[in-house]
Amino acid sequence: MKFTSVCAIVGMLLCAALIAGCTSPAPQSGTLQPTTSASGGSVIVMYAKGTGPMPTLLGTDQIDGYIAWQPFVEVPPMAGIGKVLVYSGDLPPEGKWKDHPCCVFTATQGMISENPDLANAMTAALILSTHYLEEHPEESAEITADWLAGKGNFTYGDISVSSVDVLQRAFPTVKFVNEPSEGWMDSNIEFVYALRELEVLTGSLKNSTDADSKAILFDTGPYYAAQSMIDAGKIVAPSPVKDPVGLGYLMSDHHAALFVAINKWQYFNDTFGIAIKPRDLSASRPDTADLIVAGKPVAELKLISGDAGPQLMQLMATDNIQFALVGNPPAISAADKGTPVKIIMAINSEGSGVVVAEDSPATDWNSFVAWAKERSAAGKPLKIAAPGKGSIQDVMIRYSLEASGLSVKEG
Amino acid sequence: MRYLRFLLPILLVVGWEAASWIISNPFILPSLTTVIPILLHPFSPEFTLGTGSMVENAGISIQRVGMGFLVAAAVAIPLGILMGRSNLFNDFFDSIIELLRPIPPLAWVPLALAWFKIGLTSIVFIIFIGAFFPILLNTVDGVKSVKKTWLEVATTLGAKERQIMIKVILPGAAPTIWTGLRVGFGIAWMCVVAAEWLPGISQGLGYLILYAYNFGQTNLIIAGMIVIGVIGLLIDFVFKRVERRWFSWRGLER
Repeated sequence: MKFTSVCAIVGMLLCAALIAGCTSPAPQSGTLQPTTSASGGSVIVMYAKGTGPMPTLLGTDQIDGYIAWQPFVEVPPMAGIGKVLVYSGDLPPEGKWKDHPCCVFTATQGMISENPDLANAMTAALILSTHYLEEHPEESAEITADWLAGKGNFTYGDISVSSVDVLQRAFPTVKFVNEPSEGWMDSNIEFVYALRELEVLTGSLKNSTDADSKAILFDTGPYYAAQSMIDAGKIVAPSPVKDPVGLGYLMSDHHAALFVAINKWQYFNDTFGIAIKPRDLSASRPDTADLIVAGKPVAELKLISGDAGPQLMQLMATDNIQFALVGNPPAISAADKGTPVKIIMAINSEGSGVVVAEDSPATDWNSFVAWAKERSAAGKPLKIAAPGKGSIQDVMIRYSLEASGLSVKEG
Repeated sequence: MRYLRFLLPILLVVGWEAASWIISNPFILPSLTTVIPILLHPFSPEFTLGTGSMVENAGISIQRVGMGFLVAAAVAIPLGILMGRSNLFNDFFDSIIELLRPIPPLAWVPLALAWFKIGLTSIVFIIFIGAFFPILLNTVDGVKSVKKTWLEVATTLGAKERQIMIKVILPGAAPTIWTGLRVGFGIAWMCVVAAEWLPGISQGLGYLILYAYNFGQTNLIIAGMIVIGVIGLLIDFVFKRVERRWFSWRGLER
């Protein structure tokens, strides 16, 4: 009996070690292999596990460029190590990625079915703040700079740049929208196709019809309920919940709707009778807040920032969080694996971009393709970092490279 | 030659500045002139990307590590005494402990989140894992290495197990246990970055370093590392002082 329990523990711990250490068993880099592809060359896409290492990898010449979400697209130009090649809405083929879906607002199925009023109220709070940041982009950029960097400066050698300036620059490249229209849902389904091709989907979405995929992924009920409460000018107060509710988000200006909702809580409280009020009013980045409807606190919110979407979905799968702002591919992969997650509405579209090293000859996509072909022919294919396999950025850069006659290798 | 110990740090600083000037790539080695201002303003929240001042971050990290360390000591010392005293206990626990010991605290992160959920408990657990084993093993070792003659003398004089424990074993093992605590705290403090890698954290020295990475703020990363190093050094100094003050008899006795 002792032996069996030892075995069980060994097995469990080995699993933990595997999860922590080897989440992406990427194939070995083929940097020095000359390409024999007839397609005109290849590009290596490597995964950086979030945006964390990207500026350093680019700054130390270990990669030739990267594709990331904002504001990390703006880091290389201000640090003098790179330039923005193209923002994601303009990636080829032309028009393909215009208004491409990006982050979505999700909730657990349990939250929507057992606590619909709370799900509706949270949705309403985010819709209202999205309206606000459309109307006040400059103020919203400043609020976001405060959340992401305490309005401080970034220092790169002799260069020092204000985070407020960076966010002012990044903000116009993100489109803040909420409506889960049919067209928007269809473009989300395109990511289902892309993830199938990458063999990321192995569960319920592997062979589903589009209609089934939509039924699995979306529950737009809270969006329409929230919208009609907003139109009627009265937010229905949910009955107070005892346990804290977890809300996950990423450190990106894509999620400015959340930061603005919290920073301007007084305004939303006074104007619409709904607010997400931080417990610590002086913190740049509070981690606890109360959802207040009609003057009464109805839920304690734990604000949880993650490194990347898959981590947030992992937290949702273990019921650590019940709401999350997250990119659509992590939500799709999680739903595929049986996580009870539903997409309620959009948070933003576009808002990513490709940067290349400062000394790169590329100035636009066409010259970038020429550069990639040249380097591939010379046996040193370009190495471009993406946040993770199957991320929006990964899907887009692969598609665009392949559409331009380049093949993609992982490395 | 008592000033010799300061020579290498001075050379390092000079060499660093020279190297950063030659390399002139702040991602590889930022100039000291971008690191020092951060260290000179420990109470200013201006340099730390909205995480609060350096002192605030350090305070939070010390608190977390302190809690994990205390929990580890509270479990490891009694268990270690039992294991050191009784072969039965030792045989019972030994295999599983040797199995768990080599697993790095970072590997526990996924399970910590699933078991203890987001929050202080998960962080304390990761630190606990780091500090637990050195304290335990040193305690076992300390108890086992209490001189047989002392135990025999106490027994012959009619001491009961309780008295032997309090009057002979604990004092006899104390220096080794203390070494275990010192090593344990060192490792616990090293785990601060791993522990603060957990989601749902927005402050702490480990978090600060990982967050600064996103923006390529190598100067802030290095400042955070220096603060971690200095705090570790200070705490180790306290442990050593206590050791010298109360446990120096061990050296004399040999």
